[in-house]
Amino acid sequence: MTSIKRMLVDPSSNDSITSKVYIRSAKSGKVTKIVREIYLRTDIPCSSRLCRACLANAPVDSNNRSRPFVLSEKPAGTTQYKHGHYLMPDTNIFLQCMDAIEHKSAFYDVIVLQTVLDEVKNQSLPLYNRLVSLTKADEKRFYVFHNEFRQETHVKRGQEESINDRNDRAIRVACKWYQKHIEQAAASSSATAPAIVMLTNDKANLAKAKSEGLNSTDLNGYVKGLKNADELLDMISSSLQDLEKKANRGANVYAEYFSLPKMNTGVRNGTLHQGTFHTSTYNSLEGTVGVPSFDKHLLIVGLENMNRAIDGDQVVVELLPQDQWKKQSDKLVDQDTLTKNENADVDEVEAIVTERERRALIDEAKRIQRSQDESQKVQPTAKIVGVLKRNWRSYVGHIDPNSVNRAKSGGQQVVFFRPLDKKIPRIRVFTRQATQLLGQRIVVNIDTWDRTSRFPVGHFVRALGELESKEAETEALLLEYDVQYRPFPKAVLDCLPSEGHDWIVPEKGTSGWEKRVDLRDLLVCSIDPPGCQDIDDALHARLLPNGNYEAGVHIADVSHFVKPNNAMDDEAASRGTTVYLVDKRIDMLPPLLGTDLCSLKPYVERYAFSVIWEMTPDAKIVNTKFTKSVIKSREAFAYKAAQMRIDDKSQTDPLTEGMRILLMLSKKLKQARMDAGALNLASPEVKIHMESETSDPASIEVKELLETNSLVEEFMLCANISVARKIYEAFPQTAMLRRHGAPPATNFDDLRSQLRARKGLDLRVESSKALADSLDGCVDPQEAYFNTLVRIIATRCMLPAEYFSSGTQAYPEFRHYGLATDIYTHFTSPIRRYADLAAHRQLAAAIEYEALDETLYNKNKMDAVVKNINIRHRNAQFAGRASIEYYVGQALKNKSTEQEGFVAKIFSNGFVVFVPKFGIEGTIKVETAKTYDADEYILELEDGRKVVLFDKVKVMVNVVKEQATGRRKTELTLA
Amino acid sequence: MEGLRNDGRRWNELRRIHCQLSTSSTNADGSSYIEQGFTKVLCNVTGPAEPSSRQKVKQDAATVTCEVYFAAFSGTDRIKRGRNDKKVQELQTAIQKTFASVILTHLFSRSEITISIHILSQDGGTLAACINATTLALIDAGIPLKDYVCACTSGQSTSIFDNEGSTPDPWLDVNYLEESDIPSLTVATVGETEKIVALSMENKVRIEMLEGMIAVGISGCAKVKGIMDAEVRRYGKTRLEAATGE
Ligand SMILES: [Zn+2]
Repeated sequence: MTSIKRMLVDPSSNDSITSKVYIRSAKSGKVTKIVREIYLRTDIPCSSRLCRACLANAPVDSNNRSRPFVLSEKPAGTTQYKHGHYLMPDTNIFLQCMDAIEHKSAFYDVIVLQTVLDEVKNQSLPLYNRLVSLTKADEKRFYVFHNEFRQETHVKRGQEESINDRNDRAIRVACKWYQKHIEQAAASSSATAPAIVMLTNDKANLAKAKSEGLNSTDLNGYVKGLKNADELLDMISSSLQDLEKKANRGANVYAEYFSLPKMNTGVRNGTLHQGTFHTSTYNSLEGTVGVPSFDKHLLIVGLENMNRAIDGDQVVVELLPQDQWKKQSDKLVDQDTLTKNENADVDEVEAIVTERERRALIDEAKRIQRSQDESQKVQPTAKIVGVLKRNWRSYVGHIDPNSVNRAKSGGQQVVFFRPLDKKIPRIRVFTRQATQLLGQRIVVNIDTWDRTSRFPVGHFVRALGELESKEAETEALLLEYDVQYRPFPKAVLDCLPSEGHDWIVPEKGTSGWEKRVDLRDLLVCSIDPPGCQDIDDALHARLLPNGNYEAGVHIADVSHFVKPNNAMDDEAASRGTTVYLVDKRIDMLPPLLGTDLCSLKPYVERYAFSVIWEMTPDAKIVNTKFTKSVIKSREAFAYKAAQMRIDDKSQTDPLTEGMRILLMLSKKLKQARMDAGALNLASPEVKIHMESETSDPASIEVKELLETNSLVEEFMLCANISVARKIYEAFPQTAMLRRHGAPPATNFDDLRSQLRARKGLDLRVESSKALADSLDGCVDPQEAYFNTLVRIIATRCMLPAEYFSSGTQAYPEFRHYGLATDIYTHFTSPIRRYADLAAHRQLAAAIEYEALDETLYNKNKMDAVVKNINIRHRNAQFAGRASIEYYVGQALKNKSTEQEGFVAKIFSNGFVVFVPKFGIEGTIKVETAKTYDADEYILELEDGRKVVLFDKVKVMVNVVKEQATGRRKTELTLA
Repeated sequence: MEGLRNDGRRWNELRRIHCQLSTSSTNADGSSYIEQGFTKVLCNVTGPAEPSSRQKVKQDAATVTCEVYFAAFSGTDRIKRGRNDKKVQELQTAIQKTFASVILTHLFSRSEITISIHILSQDGGTLAACINATTLALIDAGIPLKDYVCACTSGQSTSIFDNEGSTPDPWLDVNYLEESDIPSLTVATVGETEKIVALSMENKVRIEMLEGMIAVGISGCAKVKGIMDAEVRRYGKTRLEAATGE
């Protein structure tokens, strides 16, 4: 440890210290004044490689290292700045044009002022994070200059000066200082000095800069001088581009949002409610907001009441009078029917309710009046009066060809962008490359949604490739679900063992073996899906002399290789999980670890984290041990191979016998779980066979479940539960656990009344045990599949399971409803899930193998980790499902077949059919229905055919190109 | 980021220290005032004097008592701390214990030395400023000490200078914002001996980090000593000049 070597601040000189006064207002309404000292210095480098003076004075850290300088000695020139230039953008440039700034073709050698960085942070945390990652990556040469801390560039706010004016002045002062400083630096090394170019779109600031003799330009002017100006200009936020246009726009389409204090007060005194807005899957004119004070979700009907909210936004709503409460629509409405003929470039005032919408709403109202048991089914309705937090992100989709004016060859036009996510409205996009972008999969960001505009306005970010090409569609899917699929950066790969694939478990007794138990003699094997490369888990079992059994689960010791807080750990934490697509796997950890060094491959020694139980012949746990170990797997089985080996009576070797013990115990474990009320839920899982040469999908089959699947599952559950108890005992406040909340009984309302009406069956939902039992009773002797269908529908009524840190919930809330256990965690897949890796570290600390990293006992940090992995986990599931859907579409292309399907949901103008063979469902719309019986769930078609809920129907499965998404999709029609 | 702390200092830099002796002319035998950043502390020392109660009489040594008062406006939130406030008690005990071991108490048997401290403003490192102020006031009162007792804080930052496996820097002399953000400790040493007389830490920190934090804290103490010593000498000189009528 080095000691203090020099004191860079001279404490006697008063002009090196200044103070900053903040007024902080807390949520409680309390206002505090904070005075903070600022130490001004002269040793903050300009970080230009031209400058020797700063290099000589460069500061060092406690390890005596200094940062390499960032800005290039020969930065790129433009027509305007021939001798090269450094860019110095203001805050709004980053806020509005981050997509363009991230582009590979331009924006190199950028000076990010501290003033600007702080402002960006206050305005938008996501943009701030993107900016910070630019400054951390080497390639674009972004340098954060702490102008507020450098004596020459620190600016005191004048008496009458606004904060904005002061910050603008600070930028100009920094620009001036840099210009002089770089000129001096260049002169001393007899080079030509690059220009410092201040980028701002603020006219007043530009004028002032010009008068002070600074190089400055607005973004449009700057970009126009670059090579691919059109593409870059498209990426610039539309808010910059149509400022003038907006000014002469007409009346408002939507109601004004309430002010923030008004909303806060309203929510506090109960007149307003706060919640997350969700658009209905079946009806884009309808959404719901779940709020704490109502059992039922509040219905939001019509675009006017939705008031510019987008699926996932945090909104504040006001209840509508009771005479406007409605029944949830039983009509299918998609955007196509509503906005078919709309023009993206409408300049006249747009009416909020188009004729079509109005008709849809009137139909709706009429239907309610006719309905008999109106009082029972009616739901409270509300309108949105403000948005607290936008859920805007990047959207993948394509340009609606109908909105493009092909005759217009050059120049900018407004087109409609249709997001893949049907819950997102269309987005108006200004583009100069409309014709080139037709037929492309593209990414768009939303900029604003003004009261004057019927649709949100956004800007082009980038093109992924041609519609329907496998590459573009796969990337689209990854982007849509925010999966990080870029190759692992060098910093991450540097954390891997230097031996690479040659790494082996070291000689016994040497370093690495401390506190590790030698379990190489155990007959361990792994059982996984065929072709599995990342083998997380292996098992063993044997008879003990006392008549009990020893069973062990051995999990890859990932935490040995991934140390907390290094680049690899950060990357894994932010990825959160491995994502499995049909033909692609996006790893959480570099493949060297995942598929080799950590993977419990057969015939080689591997580090493991073992859970070993002593169990009675009835599978009651007598004793549980946790230890780090070294194992040597004897065989890696596929489920089927393991099943055959167990079933083959001629095999009597100890390994097979061990597997038979495991199977026997697993059946008892499963029975015990079922008796406790664990749910056997169903979700349609299909497998896609790929033609190996062409890697085109050839056929689809529904996954087959063997006894060995359940064998592995039972032991993994058992290990997870044992570990959960142990880490909760050791870290009662921050144990990484997983819970599954009991679904509110109202979630099952529809299903219950449907079952009662159609089949005379009673679904009991008061506990998971009751539900499990009554689900068992949901059988139709004529139709074996009926039970599975009900289970699939019931599964959709459940809440999602979630990770949580034990301190954030009361113990009874730890319960995992689906598994019927009081406590649960994920421990068994650390190669592909970060939660498991965290559990490994906590377990290692709990058994005093090593010290726990701060992240895992600090409540706030744990909360951040948990929040991220919950999102990642959910997105990974969605991405996986979407990938299957895409490949099913490809596999069935040009193969129209007649299939058996079941009616899963019914509307007054259509119904949803589930096709078990392909694991797909589709909506069939009926333009003209003869009658619709809402109580009996029967829809009579024009031709007299009756569609009845839960009944079997014959459907034609076709694959068509869907207009709305530009994607190939299965379409069902009644055969 | 970039190795600068939120107030512009680097990892190994102290805040501005301003200190004064003989700040109070009324009924104190010695007094001092110290500012470390925006932490401001006033200290009065009385004694050696007749003990205020019989329990405080020790046959072979002087008794050291300490009273700490927080001004209600000293923190960001207006809080009144009474005599039995936990924080007040902790500070009193820490200061009392520290100085009982450094004052040459055996020279003043059957007497009492009272340290009374007023905390006017808190901006991190309150205990350290109290200890430093006490040392100065004791010197002003002419009470013999083994040597200067100087205190300083250090914290363990979480930000890393670059990615390549280095441990994050320890930070010297944490301010209020840093103190509420990262684990920190207060260390006090005697003179330039690196001998620790007080060490206090209220958060958890990984054991590997502790050594670095203490080392940085100790180096800070030496720095503080230099500044305090300079002020004592300067003040002594002006007193001498006044006394000799120059
Ligand atoms: Zn320089």
